[in-house]
Amino acid sequence: MSEEMETILHPRPSAIVAALYTLRDLDADVAVMHGPAGCSFKHSRLLEEDGMHVLTSAMDETNFVFGGHESLVRVLRKAEEMFQPELMGVIGTCSSMIIGEDLHQAVEDSGVGAKCKVIAADVHAGYRDNTVGVILTLESAYKSGIISREEFERQKRMLEAATKLEKEVGAASKSYIPPSKGDSKIDVAHRLLELIGKGKKGVCVLNAKKETVFMFADILKAVNKVAEPSQIVNIANLDTEEGLKKIRGYSVKILDELDADGIKIDHIIGGLDEYPVAGEKAAALIDAFYADYDFAVLLGISHAVPLDKYGIKAEIFSVTNGPRTIEPLKWLGHDHAVLEIDLHPKTIGATGIIPSEFGDTLLKLKHALQLP
Amino acid sequence: MRQIAFYGKGGIGKSTIGTNIAAALSENGLSVMMIGCDPKADCTRNLTGEVQIPTVLDVSRDKGIERLGLEELVEGKEIELGEVIHKGYRGIYCAECGGPRPGFGCAGRGVIVAIDLLKRLKAFEELKPDVVIYDVLGDVVCGGFAMPLRKGLADEVYIVTSADYLALYAANNICRGISAFANKGGSPLGGIIYNVRGMLDEADVVYDFAEKFGSQVIGHIPNAHEIAEAEIDANTVIEYDSNTDIANLFRDLAMRIYNNKLTSAPNPLAPEEMMMAGKEIRRRMKEKYGKRGNHE
Repeated sequence: MSEEMETILHPRPSAIVAALYTLRDLDADVAVMHGPAGCSFKHSRLLEEDGMHVLTSAMDETNFVFGGHESLVRVLRKAEEMFQPELMGVIGTCSSMIIGEDLHQAVEDSGVGAKCKVIAADVHAGYRDNTVGVILTLESAYKSGIISREEFERQKRMLEAATKLEKEVGAASKSYIPPSKGDSKIDVAHRLLELIGKGKKGVCVLNAKKETVFMFADILKAVNKVAEPSQIVNIANLDTEEGLKKIRGYSVKILDELDADGIKIDHIIGGLDEYPVAGEKAAALIDAFYADYDFAVLLGISHAVPLDKYGIKAEIFSVTNGPRTIEPLKWLGHDHAVLEIDLHPKTIGATGIIPSEFGDTLLKLKHALQLP
Repeated sequence: MRQIAFYGKGGIGKSTIGTNIAAALSENGLSVMMIGCDPKADCTRNLTGEVQIPTVLDVSRDKGIERLGLEELVEGKEIELGEVIHKGYRGIYCAECGGPRPGFGCAGRGVIVAIDLLKRLKAFEELKPDVVIYDVLGDVVCGGFAMPLRKGLADEVYIVTSADYLALYAANNICRGISAFANKGGSPLGGIIYNVRGMLDEADVVYDFAEKFGSQVIGHIPNAHEIAEAEIDANTVIEYDSNTDIANLFRDLAMRIYNNKLTSAPNPLAPEEMMMAGKEIRRRMKEKYGKRGNHE
């Protein structure tokens, strides 16, 4: 981040939402937000589609003034009664944290800790980096014995790397980044098909963040389908041994589906939560073995694949789901940057590969171009 | 490590008593840290002399807490312990939470953030004080000012009061807050400190209240001129005039507090009881001052 940047003006991801997603990753059965009913509503709804119940203590003006402790205790007991969870998460919000609510005391007073495991995180959205929400939640999980110290430390390293990545080359790299719809999918698909049609060789790097893999993998599939097997080398962060159990499960599903379609991943560069650092491995691999390839399709966290650092001259086709990542990709010199805008809502709760617009465009355009 | 919190009506003498106790404990060879939890940032003044120490919140704002966040401030070593904790009289560690100017922001949240920062900087682990004293803003108006009462912080609370009705009213109100925390493992009430101020010097009024609260009067500070003189120089009496009776009284009180094991979850008085107590105080004032005490 540049020295002269003071604050970031555009909206940034919330640490409260990050905490909610972390509870989901930890397979929490129910998350209780101690705050207003409308806080993080959109993401709460999405997470309910992914199988986690989300409740709120519905704090209002009365609670802001008089405190919301008793309301929270009631909701915690209700959550346990309604869902008999094995694991419950309780997270703060801006309002509950500003007025000094004690989540841990509320958990103790409710007695739910005797019936299920409980993670409590004193989180609000007033952090510069939303990864703080993840760390606070994981720290509570570690203290509750749900994850090991090694896993907690590994996750912290990944999150610190993710924060650094966004500050250096991503959506937190400038004071203001306008949202962008990206390049025309038809134009980009046309150029990619042109290269493939001429027999050019390329690498396809899947460097996805967790559940977004369910759509980015569709694009990898499509790239492999529109080319000959000998033309494409696949590199992916689909390690099935690293990370939380739920996330490893995503890798297993994706690999099974790709395998069923006869698509092989040539190099595994890490797990689905290792996207901040896996990209470096991909770039190093490309430099070592595929430096003379003509194009690179980068899917997911494309700005984490530092091809420029290795002096790789391939024509770069990037696909992202972040409207505020498009401009930074262009600043990094990526030739084409395409946006899959609805990717995240569509991949929440996915159990298999979800069709993508760009993948669909590639396949249909190839078919259309082959018409006499 | 013993952790003690002082609460009481604004202006009742918490900081005066707290700083004198800190000085006395330090004289006894104990390492002491005093943390002011008041946006006015004047709790440790008697220990730091004329020097206005930078507050925890001001330093973190200057260091870029907005840009970096608390975590990066600490982990990136952008802020050091020595910038927020300062040595005062006899090397007593002094910290002022600080907070917003009147009419802005949320001072209670400020106390939470400041104490959180001190914990992240591992103030207690690094400096290893034998005693930590929290001096908290007079009216515990929101959750933030009850931060020292939470589990793991103050071992007990001492309420400073005079015999005046409003001071006792405030003390009773504070007991309402303390009892909620004390009954759940938070800080219990260690005792009442009677500080002779205002119109009435009636010790038995205060003793009576203490008994009703289910507590004890652990100290009785007379209206000694040396205290006020010392404060003009921003000193404790211990520093200003060490060989006085009042200095010795603070020394005794400090050790009584330090060694106190008698604590309780206080029983705040109901409104009717408070009203009765107020009437009794008025009766005494009328007896003492005649018509001048009559405000009917």
